[in-house]
Amino acid sequence: MSNSEKNILFAMSAAPFWHCGRTITKNSMHYMIALMPAVFMAIWHWGIPALGVMSLSILVAMLTEELFTRVMHRTSTIADGTAAVSGLLLAFLMPANAPYWIVILAAFCAISLGKMAFGGYGANPVNTVLVGWAMVFVSFPVFMDPNSMLLQTDFIDPLVRLKYFGAEALQNASFTTSGLMFGEQIGALGASQILALLVGGLYLLARGVIRWEISLFFLIGVLLVAAILNEVDPSKYASPFFHLMTGSTILCAFFLATEFACAPDRSLGMILFGLTGGALLVIIRTYGVYTDGAPFAVMLANLLCPYFDMIKPKPFGVKK
Amino acid sequence: MSFYKEFTKGLWNELPPFRLLLGLCPVLAVTKSAQNGLGMGVAVLFVLLLSNIIVSLVRDIIPKKVRIACFVTISATLVVAVELLMQAYTYPLYQQLGIFVPLIVVNCIILGRAEAFAAKNPVYLAVADGLGMGIGFTLSLTFLGSLREIIGAGTFFGVPVFGEYYQPFTMMIEAPGAFICLGCILGFMNYLNRIQSRRKGLAAHKNPTVCGSTCAQCGGCSKANLS
Repeated sequence: MSNSEKNILFAMSAAPFWHCGRTITKNSMHYMIALMPAVFMAIWHWGIPALGVMSLSILVAMLTEELFTRVMHRTSTIADGTAAVSGLLLAFLMPANAPYWIVILAAFCAISLGKMAFGGYGANPVNTVLVGWAMVFVSFPVFMDPNSMLLQTDFIDPLVRLKYFGAEALQNASFTTSGLMFGEQIGALGASQILALLVGGLYLLARGVIRWEISLFFLIGVLLVAAILNEVDPSKYASPFFHLMTGSTILCAFFLATEFACAPDRSLGMILFGLTGGALLVIIRTYGVYTDGAPFAVMLANLLCPYFDMIKPKPFGVKK
Repeated sequence: MSFYKEFTKGLWNELPPFRLLLGLCPVLAVTKSAQNGLGMGVAVLFVLLLSNIIVSLVRDIIPKKVRIACFVTISATLVVAVELLMQAYTYPLYQQLGIFVPLIVVNCIILGRAEAFAAKNPVYLAVADGLGMGIGFTLSLTFLGSLREIIGAGTFFGVPVFGEYYQPFTMMIEAPGAFICLGCILGFMNYLNRIQSRRKGLAAHKNPTVCGSTCAQCGGCSKANLS
């Protein structure tokens, strides 16, 4: 017996056995690369204040993460870049000239309450970025509203037009499709750079960082509900493609709804998750108080995620 | 079982909202300001003390089978009295608290203390228990209310505490702020507990909902002995 114990042939271990070499740090790098076009577009449109907001948000997010790992006696995770990505995405949802204290507060709340309170990266039930965003957006609506903060630009806010003047006002408003694509609209500093975000999102899809099911079906959900509403009364409800090109739809579809920790991990779940988020987005925009409810739609879909995760395939070999 | 011991347990060891997590509905809903918290706390203190006394007086007369209905009737009577008193003397506060005053009837603390303590103990102990728990509840509500009011509105009992440049963090006086504050307070209480046990050289304190077989006094969970 002692002889056979020495020569163990079979080592027992649990799945997964195959590692593709991807790490959290590399994932964060991909996110950073994907967000770069939007960063440049934001700086081009809004200038140095936008750069200031983004830098401050990233800085505070990383410092908060470091502080909390120290307090919780954990290994420091500041170098894996997830806090930096959260900080940048958070800045993308803010107006370009948001006051510095709002940026600090939002980044601190996002990392402390949205991430570290639940145990760090991968344990959060709701998107980290959106927790911080929601807290300051609900508390300080005046400072977070790009429309009231960016009085000196020539651009207009298409969603405000839609909300308060109806879809007919959009016909004679002074924006074009290509203009909207290049971010010529009032909106959060990064979220309104539609084309740049689209490029970044496609890059992430191509690198396999995010799953196409969520993004595609998020957009389909938006188009579907908007098309139904538009079909009912075109003079009252905007066209479906208008919803794609305004507000933070693209940012939500590619960067926020796809956060790994709070999105389902099987195809059918992802499809339903995306459809729910997209449908909620248009419903909140049409019937809600806020002009752009896209991040709220993602948060609600995040909360439904555990239920989507219950949709499981039948295990191999089970008879029923 | 001395008067003093029964009185002090409600102030820290079995602090209703933050230790037993009882009566969370008013704790979360009415603590938008310190004043509301204090008013609600005093109302609960009044009902809790009197219901404890009455239940303890009639504990040998009530048949076991209908005791819950009797307790609810007693507390409902007292709540109506409180409601009428508040309408008469503190009408603005009554309007602020709204539906949560009648809801004291179904507050877990009232029934819990009646069932788990007053129905088994003589009057003087029931008084101590009701006073302790009620004062603990009032202090907790006032504390949570002042925390939320100071951060969320920049005032304390209506008096501004920060300069005029303070932008109130209104999230804190909305519903999510209550949950965030409560969560932070619970975490902090557990941390204090751990420090306390470490100083005494004991093992780390367990989750306070796993209460350590003091069910007879507590009644705070489904494991309580309800015979």
